[in-house]
Amino acid sequence: MRLLFSLFAARAGGLALALALSCLTLAAGVALFGVSGWFLTGASLATSAMAFNLFGPSSMVRGFSFLRIVSRYFERLAGHATTFKILSDIRVRIFSRLIPLVPLKAAAHRTGDFVARLTADVEALDMMFLQVVAPIATAVLGALGLGLFLWIVLPDALPVVLIGFALTTLFLPLLIALSGQRTGAATVRTAADLRVAVLDGIDGHADLVALGAVDGARHAVDEAVASVRKARLRQSWRVAFGPAFVVLGTGATAIATLYVGLPVLEQGRVTGPVLVGALLAVMAVFEVSGPILRGAGKLGAASAAARRVQSLVDMPPAIRDPAQPIAVPDAGDITFEQVGFTYGRDQAVLAGLDLTIRDGEHIAIIGESGSGKSTLLGLLLRLVDVESGGIGMGGVDIRAVRQADLHAHIALLSQDAPVFIGTIRDNLKIADPHAADAALWGVLEKARLDDFVRSLPQGLDTWLGESGETLSAGQARRLCLARTLLSPAKVLLLDEPTAGLDRPTEAEFLADLLAVTTGRTLILATHAALPKGAVDRVYRLEEGALTLEG
Amino acid sequence: MKTEDTTRGGETARSPAFAARWLRARGRVGRRAAGIAILVPLISAGLTLAQAYLLATILHRAIVDQVASASQTGAILSLLGLVAIRGLLAWIGEAAGIRAAEDIKQAIRRDLFATLMRRGPDWMRQRSSGELASQILDQVEALDGYFARFVPAMIAAAVVPVAFAVGLMPVDLVVGIVLLVTAPMIPLFMALAGWGAEAASRQHLTALSRLSGMFADRIRGLLVLKLFGRAEDEIVRVRSASDEFAERTLAVLRIAFLSSAVLEFFAALGVAGVALYVGLTYVGLLDLRGTGFTLQAGLFCLLMAPEVYMPLRTLAAHYHDRASAKAAVTSLAATFENLPPVDEVVTAPGSPWSPSGAIAVTARHLTVETPDRGTILSDATLDIAAGETVALLGPSGIGKSTLLEVLARLRSHQGQIELGGVPLADIDEGALRRHVASLGQRPRLFHGTIASNIRLGRADATDAEVRLAAERACVLDFADRLPEGLATPVGERGRGVSGGEAQRIALARIFLRDPALVLLDEPTAHLDIETEARVMRTILAFAQGRTLLIATHSMAVAALMDRILEIDDRQRILVRAPDLTAEPVLAQGVA
Repeated sequence: MRLLFSLFAARAGGLALALALSCLTLAAGVALFGVSGWFLTGASLATSAMAFNLFGPSSMVRGFSFLRIVSRYFERLAGHATTFKILSDIRVRIFSRLIPLVPLKAAAHRTGDFVARLTADVEALDMMFLQVVAPIATAVLGALGLGLFLWIVLPDALPVVLIGFALTTLFLPLLIALSGQRTGAATVRTAADLRVAVLDGIDGHADLVALGAVDGARHAVDEAVASVRKARLRQSWRVAFGPAFVVLGTGATAIATLYVGLPVLEQGRVTGPVLVGALLAVMAVFEVSGPILRGAGKLGAASAAARRVQSLVDMPPAIRDPAQPIAVPDAGDITFEQVGFTYGRDQAVLAGLDLTIRDGEHIAIIGESGSGKSTLLGLLLRLVDVESGGIGMGGVDIRAVRQADLHAHIALLSQDAPVFIGTIRDNLKIADPHAADAALWGVLEKARLDDFVRSLPQGLDTWLGESGETLSAGQARRLCLARTLLSPAKVLLLDEPTAGLDRPTEAEFLADLLAVTTGRTLILATHAALPKGAVDRVYRLEEGALTLEG
Repeated sequence: MKTEDTTRGGETARSPAFAARWLRARGRVGRRAAGIAILVPLISAGLTLAQAYLLATILHRAIVDQVASASQTGAILSLLGLVAIRGLLAWIGEAAGIRAAEDIKQAIRRDLFATLMRRGPDWMRQRSSGELASQILDQVEALDGYFARFVPAMIAAAVVPVAFAVGLMPVDLVVGIVLLVTAPMIPLFMALAGWGAEAASRQHLTALSRLSGMFADRIRGLLVLKLFGRAEDEIVRVRSASDEFAERTLAVLRIAFLSSAVLEFFAALGVAGVALYVGLTYVGLLDLRGTGFTLQAGLFCLLMAPEVYMPLRTLAAHYHDRASAKAAVTSLAATFENLPPVDEVVTAPGSPWSPSGAIAVTARHLTVETPDRGTILSDATLDIAAGETVALLGPSGIGKSTLLEVLARLRSHQGQIELGGVPLADIDEGALRRHVASLGQRPRLFHGTIASNIRLGRADATDAEVRLAAERACVLDFADRLPEGLATPVGERGRGVSGGEAQRIALARIFLRDPALVLLDEPTAHLDIETEARVMRTILAFAQGRTLLIATHSMAVAALMDRILEIDDRQRILVRAPDLTAEPVLAQGVA
């Protein structure tokens, strides 16, 4: 919740305006109904038009109607405008807090699932003000206003009205929200199970067909679907309390007011018109309970989302910059000295690993997938720190330099490098924002993607991703490769650069790797067969140790 | 079902009228609960009328007749009773709506998945699994509000205002008639309210989903952005993108909110108008009735005036449910190319087939074209004798896997293929799967344990048989090192498994079966030489009395086979001499 408070604080002005308008709308509605009742009762008791001032009340009725319409309109507009601002604030803030945290250490944060959950969490927070905070704040302020009014005209009814209103707008919604949390979790869990069952059926379709096990998969999905329904139905009777409480709360409070008010009328401490006006005003103020009870169901999910996001942004970065950073030497050897590190799901171990790569040298590291090639590249970039030993760059320990400087010096093509939503040009320029078009075409040619891009009607300006051109896996890979080649970094780390390329293209690419990377240091992690002379040296990484091949 | 025919072709399936029709047809599944959800608000409206009348009566008696408050207790208790019943009805109505929606969603999800499973592997290959799963989960979920809330609200909005107007007539003809005359305008109000609400929510949702998409995209690639030193710049882009979305959306909302302001206007006009009319009648400035007007009648009209507009407001609040449901149906229709008809019985074609022992495989004029890689085989010939073991060589990407998929009837082809003398197309699906076992290059591990994945080969296999199969496929090599052994969870949310490990688990499945033809696609691709040799020994032992075709890159594997075939770059299948050095010759005519 701290996160939400600080976000709301930053937009306090807009929120206050929306809230004020919301209160004004409620007040106008209450006044319209109350004055109508008072006016009507008063008129019926009056014996003639002369004895009753008709003009004042009737113009008030018209005024309040108009005020209500106008303030409702601007309330919604102001509320949405501010919500949009908060929506962008949330994203910017989370994004900037995440920068020092990546790559996230916990395995749970590494999957695509994590991104989906974070996005959903952020979306749950977007509507917090409009759907939850604003109605509750309006209710509280409305209760104050109504309390003041009743205190003046009908103090006897004040306790029952306040109790009834607090129950309907605050405690019962809270109760619903709390009791819904457990069943809410069950709903989320069964939905996740269903997703797994469906994905198993789709991704494993060919296997299922071949095994003649399609009916089994259908059965599994049928069961998962049934559990989703069951969990939702179990939740439904709690959810259904919401609308029931609105009816009960409004009705019971109005009746209580009536019950308390009638003897007061009898004793002559209140006039008939005022009693009717007060009663109708009480009924009208319950208008606010509808949105609150609707929002209450979302409160549980939203607070859980807020907690998750908060714990994420509160994580301390695993890798910190030194207090007095040294500049990265412009040239020099890369040295791994007695490097020890535990990695992978099987807790494989690099132990006492030594490796020296001279400035401008090209080396390849080969080995089975999972042997630790990617880990080795990550260590050089300080995505993780070595457990023992050290890695040096031109004689300087990489832990003594700023991470940003180190990253500017080394460019990585990772195995899961993404293509971003944006144009081809945007995607390439991430590596070098000042690159000229000629340079972009140059790297596209080196990655053997130039013919394809030239064949697109919009060339470099072709929009990729959502509602744009989609690239095949091989093309996407080549685009990421081109991006890495565009980087001005002195050292290139290519992790399986030819994955997704067909054999002849792979062979061609590897053959002219030398030409493409002249003058730069290159570390290539691959399990492709390397043509002779593609690199200076080839190491095999096996059981956590490097051996020179050939 | 007729729906199948009328909706063939994307255009019809995607039209809005079609979406509405399909939703209506689908609604039949949850008819009972939906009926309750629709009926309850109508009953509740009748009680509202009674409640307002009773309240007006009590006030009239207290203020005009000055009845002692103690004598009104009975009336107040009845009022309380009415409120309690309305509360109960609201609860039942809401729960029934949810139930109807759940029943309908369950039926749709089952049908969609069944439709998916019936589509051939060819169709499935061209689609992203995440997208399909999201259709079944999220898009179907988007139908929820439509069935649970919108449909009951729509019917209430059509019926209740008219009923109230008629109900008011005996009390005051003028008020009743005014409301009844405005009743035909209600569809107009509904359309107006609906248009605004729909436009607003659509704009809002589009903006939100665009923004979320971009945000997710940048988070996913945050590491890359950071390594290129571009993360800070991207914050600015995220900010400016969301500001732009906000501005554009607000421009639409400014107009869309007007429509709900119009609704508010009418509701306020109703209250103010009734108050003024009744008040003016009381003081004698207006006389349309002829007779006098009691306080009871006046209050009753005033209490009912806002209630007339209430169903319309409820409808406006749920209108976005309709928009999201329609969008979801459109998206489902586009993805599945056709929505599943409401009920359908499928019978698989084919004749029973029970070969005894190994079977021969022959193909004539075999042409295979793939959408992504073009022609793989053209007019090729293939002959494998019963009981033969054959290796299939060729550079990667030439079509070895595709050929195996074609022989396993997992991919479409042209030309004739016969298994044991029976045309492939005529074989009954169940029989084909019983007698032909195939192992793909990247087999899928399902959510469960290693053992449950192996048991997919034969559901009734004992633990000992599973363990034996695991041992023969060298699964125990890595499984025994895990703390939970064969009970280790794998799949979507289990332990990650490398490609080589997954393939060995899938191979173990085959060892549990008793096929006449075994098709293996690079079963030893990720294995070291020693493990490869062990796996090949068990495969060859298993292949005794069966026909075996292995696609491989390994010469060591190929050398163990009776014969070697090769796909060449002219899309033919050649026979390679056993000494591996001679030039391959055309397969034609070789038995």
